[in-house]
Amino acid sequence: MVMKLEGHALSIGYTDRLVGHDLDVGVETGEVLALLGPNGSGKTTLLKTLLGLLAPKGGDVQLDGQTLKYYSSRDRARLMAYVPQSHQATFAFTVETVVLMGRIAHGNLFSRPTAADRAVAGQSLERFGIAHLRDRPYTMISGGERQLTLLARALAQEPQFVVLDEPTASLDFGNQGKVMREIRSLAASGHGVLFTTHDPNHAMRAADRAYLLRDGAKIAEGAVGAVLNREQLMALYDAPVEKITDATAGVSAFLPG
Amino acid sequence: MLNRRTLVAGLSAATLAPRATRAATVNDAAGRAVPILQRVARVFPAGPPAAILLYTLAPDLLIGWPRPNRAEECEYMLPDVCTRPEVGRITGRGNTASLEVVLALKPDLILDVGATAPTFISLASRVQEQTGIPYALLDGRFDAIVPTYRTLGALTHRSEGAESLAQYAEDTMTTIKGRIAGTPAEQRPKVYYARGPRGLETGLAGSINVETIEFMGVRNVASERPGGLAVVSIEQVLLWNPDVIITIDRDFAAGVFHDPLWNAVKAVRDGRVHLSPKVPFGWVDFPPSVNRLIGLWWLAKIIYPELFPEDLRELTRDFYTRFYHRTPTDAQIEHVLAGRG
Amino acid sequence: MSRSAAPGFAVALAALIIGVLIAFTVGRYPIALSDLFSVFLGKLSGRPPDLPPIVENVIWQVRGPRVVAAALVGAALAVAGTAFQGLFRNPLVSPDILGASSGAALGAVLGIFFSLGVFAIQSLAFAGGLLAVAAVYLIGSAVRSRDPVLVLVLTGVVIGALLGAGVGLVKYLADPYNQLPAMTFWLLGSLAATTLSDLLPLFGPVAAGTLVLIALRWRMNVMSLPDEEARALGVPTGPLRVVIVAAATLVTSASVATAGIIGWVGLVVPHMARSLVGPDFARLIPAAALLGGGFLLVIDTVARNSAAIEIPLGILTAVVGTPFFIWLLTSVSRTWS
Repeated sequence: MVMKLEGHALSIGYTDRLVGHDLDVGVETGEVLALLGPNGSGKTTLLKTLLGLLAPKGGDVQLDGQTLKYYSSRDRARLMAYVPQSHQATFAFTVETVVLMGRIAHGNLFSRPTAADRAVAGQSLERFGIAHLRDRPYTMISGGERQLTLLARALAQEPQFVVLDEPTASLDFGNQGKVMREIRSLAASGHGVLFTTHDPNHAMRAADRAYLLRDGAKIAEGAVGAVLNREQLMALYDAPVEKITDATAGVSAFLPG
Repeated sequence: MLNRRTLVAGLSAATLAPRATRAATVNDAAGRAVPILQRVARVFPAGPPAAILLYTLAPDLLIGWPRPNRAEECEYMLPDVCTRPEVGRITGRGNTASLEVVLALKPDLILDVGATAPTFISLASRVQEQTGIPYALLDGRFDAIVPTYRTLGALTHRSEGAESLAQYAEDTMTTIKGRIAGTPAEQRPKVYYARGPRGLETGLAGSINVETIEFMGVRNVASERPGGLAVVSIEQVLLWNPDVIITIDRDFAAGVFHDPLWNAVKAVRDGRVHLSPKVPFGWVDFPPSVNRLIGLWWLAKIIYPELFPEDLRELTRDFYTRFYHRTPTDAQIEHVLAGRG
Repeated sequence: MSRSAAPGFAVALAALIIGVLIAFTVGRYPIALSDLFSVFLGKLSGRPPDLPPIVENVIWQVRGPRVVAAALVGAALAVAGTAFQGLFRNPLVSPDILGASSGAALGAVLGIFFSLGVFAIQSLAFAGGLLAVAAVYLIGSAVRSRDPVLVLVLTGVVIGALLGAGVGLVKYLADPYNQLPAMTFWLLGSLAATTLSDLLPLFGPVAAGTLVLIALRWRMNVMSLPDEEARALGVPTGPLRVVIVAAATLVTSASVATAGIIGWVGLVVPHMARSLVGPDFARLIPAAALLGGGFLLVIDTVARNSAAIEIPLGILTAVVGTPFFIWLLTSVSRTWS
């Protein structure tokens, strides 16, 4: 059963300004969509609108065939999980406590975590290989481990969709690859994944489809192999782009020119 | 002609006050030589104690009151003086009269009665320099009433009237002190002064609030430390177990006999809780001025009933006539003594 | 950090119990420990003890209400402070931040200025605290912003300053012989005049607010996250914020109305609790309630026994709280970044 998250004719923005106009975008469970664009293109605004954190200024967002604004935040959280950029937290909750926060959508206002909740959280920690960190304060682990914790929290919500905002920003090189691999595995386990990124190479590796956004307008959309080429990327970033191909390995990468 | 000469003299005295060596001066309580006009017609009271003192000696000179008087209070004073306008206060714990207002009122003298600490002395000199108006600072302590009256008489050219009032004060204080002198210390009761609606605010040793109480030679239960006002707990009052309670708060006086806790205090059990009269001005505590003189008799009769058989009503009538310039009726005296108003 | 917070809770509970015991036994009126037990046992068994009635009176009518009030106010302020520290994502926040204390202070000094009775003064203080925060909330919500919490804080600071100016004005106009000392004493905080009849108006709002905050403690962790993250996790942050602020304001206003302004408890006790049971609000809130009660009980005992006169609570909490807080800041194992 494929579920869809779709935006139709979306106008996005804030109370004082319009950021994007007449956008159609969608992602299905089981696939990964990468959202690319330069700074100020409206990627994050589009992301938050699709998550229901920002009201659309025009058009609508449909989740599983129902308009998003009619979902309560609790019901929405059971279908969609948000992974923000890993941040400095104010309070030093343990990693397990952070992941348990993902179970809130499955309880009511006053409920405490049940044994089932702890089990799901435990599985989530195991899956991302951070179970050994469960009792460590969130503030005392590395940036990569924090990002994985947030991923685990999202998965603890048992969502259909996982939406990530620049998941590799501020991660070291090794961790970037690791997170990208996790994104692929999320899709493999049946989740729909949407992420924004500055790096076309990450889109190439982790995504099935790409959506190119510039100045609030779509300039291209489609399978990564078709859409991510030199010309499109130069048009997207309005800057020279080099493509390097390793013929023997059959892989290529893009470099800023 | 006399008027013009006086006017010129007054003006020159006012403007040349700091440098005046030939104008007449009177030494105030701070030792300052206050220049005095030959004719003093308008006096500005710097605060409530000054206003009251001046009213008792020379009500016609009073320009106005620091705070307006209530109608109930005016029944016991000269009606046209009592209703003179509010002029604010200059010193004390708040300054609501701007100096420009003071100047506009054209006083011949600014009278201040209260503490003579260096702060107030420097304030007096400052105001006198700024406005050119003679500023006299007199001692507001209770035991300084006699010299204070004499100085005020000299300042306002009312020495005769001042002498008569000072004599009354001296006689009162000497008589009362003399009669209690014979009582040994152990027979003098312990007194607790209760302020506030719960009766838990009190005056510490030497505070201006309990001056007259301590004048009576009693043991102020709260006198283990000197100071001003303080809050105590009911436990502490129970421990002190005073023989007499003096209060100025009507709610407290009304409720204390019904309170099971307070009933454990000796004073309450013996029925010796006394509500101080307060019209037109309080008989104990505030304002801390000569109004407390009649309170001495009241305190004396409460604390040493056997030693003071005098009729308080007669004393009240006499005091009010001399000092407040209006003889109260019997009904009014009852009203006052009941602590109402 | 160990998963079990039991040792921490044991310490907090012990603090409360010790606080209660000390508060009952130590007082200006000399009561022996054995007499204290006799009175308690007498109440339980129904047989009156063989003691002068004044001893029983002091224990039930004087110290009893005062102990209950100190425990309640201490717990209330600590829980409100903890909730606000979470809500405003700042460990340096106290329950006064939205102006509840300033509003209550203005209500109280106005009551004293108009020579109203004690109950009226307390009611005005209570109403003042609630109105101040309501005003802050209304003004804050009228301002559109991506960070509603920051807007609340700024509005609270502004309104608090305005109300403080109002208090200053009333003090200026007050009669310096009678009203001004009363206002000063009230503002410095005291439980000296606590009677049984004060307890009911205190207990109601404090119990209601504290229970709400304790019930919501499992959501408090999430409320300490940025607004968008919390909403994405399925928590309705807007309404929940209103409820938390309302509950914390209820307890703060009731506490200030009864005891005057007592600072530092809402700031320091959450940190003490955090060092005992960790930063998880689910444990922090109950621990703070226990510790807060014990803390204020000890402080109040010192306040009424160091001298014949009462030392204002606000002064003592500052004197004790400041070095303690400095020690907390400099000690190694800080549980907040």
